[in-house]
Amino acid sequence: MIEVRDIAREFRRPRQVHGPLGGLRTFFTREVDIVHAVSNVSFSIDAGEVVGYLGANGAGKSTTIKMLSGILVPTSGTITVNGLVPWEDREANALNIGVVFGQRTQLWWDLPLIDSLRIIAKLYRMETAHYERNLARLDELLELTPFLDTPVRQLSLGQRMRGDLTAAMLYEPKILYLDEPTIGLDVVAKERMRGFIERVNQESGTTIMLTTHDLADVERLTKRIIFIDKGLVLFDGPVAELKHRYAPYRELHVTLAPNGDQPELPQMPGIIDIEETPGRLEIRFDPATIAVADLIAAVVASHPVTDLAIVEPALESVVREIVQSGEVRR
Amino acid sequence: MERFSLMRTLAGAAIRSELQYRANAVSSIIGGILFQITGFIVVWIIAARFGQIGDWGLAELTFLYGMRLTSHGIFYAFFSQMFELDRVLITGEFDRYLVRPLPPLMQLFTRKLRINCFGDLIGGSALLIAASSGGVVDWSPIAVVYLLLAVVGGALVEGAVQITLGSLGFRFLQTYPLRASVNEVFNVYGNYPNVIFPTALRAVLTFGLPIAFVAFFPASVLLNRADELSVPAWLASIAPLVGLVLFLIAVRIWRWQSANYQSAGN
Repeated sequence: MIEVRDIAREFRRPRQVHGPLGGLRTFFTREVDIVHAVSNVSFSIDAGEVVGYLGANGAGKSTTIKMLSGILVPTSGTITVNGLVPWEDREANALNIGVVFGQRTQLWWDLPLIDSLRIIAKLYRMETAHYERNLARLDELLELTPFLDTPVRQLSLGQRMRGDLTAAMLYEPKILYLDEPTIGLDVVAKERMRGFIERVNQESGTTIMLTTHDLADVERLTKRIIFIDKGLVLFDGPVAELKHRYAPYRELHVTLAPNGDQPELPQMPGIIDIEETPGRLEIRFDPATIAVADLIAAVVASHPVTDLAIVEPALESVVREIVQSGEVRR
Repeated sequence: MERFSLMRTLAGAAIRSELQYRANAVSSIIGGILFQITGFIVVWIIAARFGQIGDWGLAELTFLYGMRLTSHGIFYAFFSQMFELDRVLITGEFDRYLVRPLPPLMQLFTRKLRINCFGDLIGGSALLIAASSGGVVDWSPIAVVYLLLAVVGGALVEGAVQITLGSLGFRFLQTYPLRASVNEVFNVYGNYPNVIFPTALRAVLTFGLPIAFVAFFPASVLLNRADELSVPAWLASIAPLVGLVLFLIAVRIWRWQSANYQSAGN
């Protein structure tokens, strides 16, 4: 559905000149700074997939999405989306895609939400019956009725995002690009948004590519992650593999009986780290070296245990580790 | 044809948005009319004082001014958003035009409506009617059609210049100061008969910036003065066509330059 081959995009900016008359000299300078927002990115996405596109700020996520949606022309490389080159067949491509930028609305600011939706329906050449059917379905999923007649400028952020999603899904695009769809939303609104994305994918088979900072979005919604940093793909594969590769450990969380003894655990191979607080132990271990049963037996033998849990590493700490180390392990 | 129906939908939305602010709408129309009255008063005073400007009498000057103003009103009604282009490019609002199934330029034009264009249109038509009652034009059906084509052509000339200069914005982001000065040159020199200027300036105002094609050439044709021009009469009479051709070229340049769009960071 989406084929991306060796794309790069650079931005040229006049070099800033500092010192006396710096502004004027910047204006006349012929030197440019070249920023490589995306250096060399390739991937392909099948129809119906949900892919999380991750990376730190400035890693090149938004630039990629903008090239995929026809906003930016790559400096080099090729992209086809559903058989079309986005920036060449811009209008035909626009009919296939829905785009939501979390930080910017695509709705008509001064008009009631329903007006924006009617205009969108016309722009995408929808029949009235088709429009009404889709609006009714989206209304059911996103509960739009209470604010359909409110001017967009008066909507809350959560309502506005629901409006933007409705606008993007109204004409049933084959592909949905979501750039930070949950940014700034409260817990309830985030959950509603995630539920919606899940249903759209399952019921309509929409291919979805989402960028986000909120890893809960990714854990909940996607099976596959593409991770980029400094304009290069560091990882492309299932979430489980990313964790396995970067965080091949588990944690045993132990709750102790109140006022009980808290003696030292005996040294055992495979224990990576122990974090001890009153009434609680967090043991990080390598399951390949030490069997979970042995570890639990050792803990129970020496400690008054009331509760035990084995915890997988959170995606968040995995990502932090990748960004900090800045390299990929194979 | 479908495109134009879609454009009407967007223009309708722009008008509805504008009418949300009713007091502003009324005051900008009145302001527009007042602004143009003061502009015309200058021409009127000079003509009344000296009887004529460069052999053109008051009725003829009024006719020229009326044509220029009507043209400018049409230009403003359709292309006013060119003056908001810098903001549209710098904030990345242009992104949204690129992901919709319609040419971005059409979406820019119908982004908002500057209501004060109605001031120009009302003022311009009033001057045209006033001047015509002075009997300076031999009205025939052909003359009426020519007048209509000429004011649209004049709007297209101004539009073409603004679009061409605006397309530099994909590289340089800020082009408003340049475009505003050029617009000012049109406003200052477009209202007077080109013949009063020195020859070199006349050439610049014809071929450098095509200001003479906006109103002076077609007005000369309607006023039976085309044989007094420093260009062949046929060139003056195809002014409306020149407007259309320049406009089509400008749209080409715009499309070619838009590949340089840089968007804005999130």
